[in-house]
Amino acid sequence: MDGFSSALWRELPGFDIAHVHQCLTGFGASTTAIVRSLGIRSVGTDLGGGEDPLMLAQRGVGLLDATLSISRYADDLVARAVDGGRREVLIGPVDTDRFTPDDTVPRDPRLVLCVSRILPHKGIDRVIEALPEGLRLIVAGRVYHDDYHARLRRLAEGKAVCFIHDADDERLLNLYRSAGVFVQASTTRDLYGTFVNKPELMGLTTLEAMACGLPVVVSDAGSLPELVTDARFGRVFSTTADLTAILAEVAAGAWPAPGASALAREHVVRAHGMEPIGRRLAALYREIAGRSEA
Amino acid sequence: MTPPLRILLVTNLYPPMVLGGYELACANVARGLARRGHEPRVLTAWSHLPATDAEPLEVHRDLDLHWLVPHVSGASPVLERDLHAAVCSSIGNTLHLLRTVAEFRPDVVYVWNLLGLGTAGLLDMLNLVGVPWVAHLMDRWPVETVKNTPPHVLGPFNAQGSALYRGARIIAMSDHLLDEIRTVSGVSFGGDVELLPGAVDLTDSVPHEPYLRDGTARFVTAGAVSAHKGIDLILEASRVLADRGVRFSVDVFGDGDLPRYVDRSRSLGIGDRVRFLGPLPQRDLLRRYAGYDAFLFPTWHREPFGLAPVEAAGCGTPPIITRICGAAERLVDGVHCIKIDRSVSGLARAMAAVADGSVDVARMARACRRLTASDLSFDRCLDRVESVLAAHATPWRQASAQDPALPRLALLKHNLALRLRFG
Repeated sequence: MDGFSSALWRELPGFDIAHVHQCLTGFGASTTAIVRSLGIRSVGTDLGGGEDPLMLAQRGVGLLDATLSISRYADDLVARAVDGGRREVLIGPVDTDRFTPDDTVPRDPRLVLCVSRILPHKGIDRVIEALPEGLRLIVAGRVYHDDYHARLRRLAEGKAVCFIHDADDERLLNLYRSAGVFVQASTTRDLYGTFVNKPELMGLTTLEAMACGLPVVVSDAGSLPELVTDARFGRVFSTTADLTAILAEVAAGAWPAPGASALAREHVVRAHGMEPIGRRLAALYREIAGRSEA
Repeated sequence: MTPPLRILLVTNLYPPMVLGGYELACANVARGLARRGHEPRVLTAWSHLPATDAEPLEVHRDLDLHWLVPHVSGASPVLERDLHAAVCSSIGNTLHLLRTVAEFRPDVVYVWNLLGLGTAGLLDMLNLVGVPWVAHLMDRWPVETVKNTPPHVLGPFNAQGSALYRGARIIAMSDHLLDEIRTVSGVSFGGDVELLPGAVDLTDSVPHEPYLRDGTARFVTAGAVSAHKGIDLILEASRVLADRGVRFSVDVFGDGDLPRYVDRSRSLGIGDRVRFLGPLPQRDLLRRYAGYDAFLFPTWHREPFGLAPVEAAGCGTPPIITRICGAAERLVDGVHCIKIDRSVSGLARAMAAVADGSVDVARMARACRRLTASDLSFDRCLDRVESVLAAHATPWRQASAQDPALPRLALLKHNLALRLRFG
């Protein structure tokens, strides 16, 4: 930590802006103190790494010139500590050049895709439970919780569920391009009864899926509802019963709506792509640095 | 003539809270600056003692003191917490300094001893505000911050090396002190340091009496009665002289471990030669020096300067001093003083030389008076202090002290330091 502090004091002078990522962690608090001491304009972003009381309860986050949140939900979490300071919300970005549909890859409308770390608060158990006959489910993600993984395996017995724990980037892209529906089922209370704080600050896999033209079903946890603005390509559920009903519509071919794939893609490119997010980020930096548009 | 300056002096202790020469010097300089038409204000720690003199300047005793005077627990966790507040950060003091700077709007902040006040937090705040500040070093308090605080804990204050002092102007008593600070802590101040030895105000001194009256050598020492000042050496050397049949006496003024040393002198069989007379007010002490032949100062190597022997010298009582103490940079061996290696034999040899007349004490005393009336005079010292303060008091953006973010930033740093140290 001493080397870290020394390096910041030594290396930061001369910069116009410092963007402090993970600003609600101890690292973020230390960096904020040094950046502010050096008189450098600063932007802070919470990426879900902590809730340091020095930054929230004691309002250290108010020392930042602006907060940039990756969702309105994340913005609400820091708003009380900012004391009326500049706040901006930029959801994304997602690389819409890489995550694209591929017409040459056949899409299976009966394939449900869940891309997620195997962790209880991801609510994968709810997807398996809600999966109706006639649909297949692929759960792609590394195992971070062995007991939860074992429970999922047991829950999946007798159902068309496949686990993939070693998908590389290419395989993942192919899954996005070939599935019929994407589900992200994160929850604030997992199946162990544990309350989960800040379950999803953004939900990048949902954006990646939509960028690939995949309609999505998301839970109402955290920021996820913000990602779907049109019921033709995105649905939100609260309970497992809700999810069961939506997946039944999928099995019956009643949802997604015709053209949903293109709509999903178009929405992400317009609202969450590199170009629009980059443009708005640059504008924020200019504003904080006190500079007019170049 | 220096235009009047608004000067904020920050010091851990201020009379009547006095441990040694540092606090007295601070008060003398503050009062001298007031007499010269400046507007000094002192920001210092509380005092439990009644004020003895009417102050010609504002003294605000609003700071908390975490070391030196209040009881410090020996229990490790408490001790560590106290030490942290003393040398690293005390948020109350930091915020009070900020409020004072914002309200008083000094042209320059004049920092004296900060030990016990939360040094790193205070200096960092001065740097954040951007007010010009001058540090007057008569002790190695910068070392205490670095030595007693893990480097990573100092990170939020940029206090891991010398960076805290980069914008400051430094006045130091001696090269010896600067060397010690650099060697022990790695903190250095660059080349632009004003070396300003201890100055003496001899207004209250009186003409010296004849030397070696009745063939007896009269020695004196004054200050803390403790081992580091060399009281043990004085007793041992006195025993050597007594054994040789030398006619002499030693008077010891000051407070400290008196019972131990009274017992020690008796056990050495010199109880009739050495008297422990307790502390005296400065004014009385200067008058008493006129009756002695030499001042004994076999102090330890860490002595930054040593005002008492210089004051005695100015009163016509040449000192016998340790060769490596700070005052030795200013006093020439055989001209203003007798320099010794810090040993019983070295001290006994010098005392014997005074007693047997092989040292011309009267001639040495005349040289001492010339020196203290010129280079080491208080007026000359104050001239140089004024000059340093005026040169460093460049305009600063006073609105920065009103920045509402600064208290929040100070608290964040304070709490980060606590967390990094104590979890």
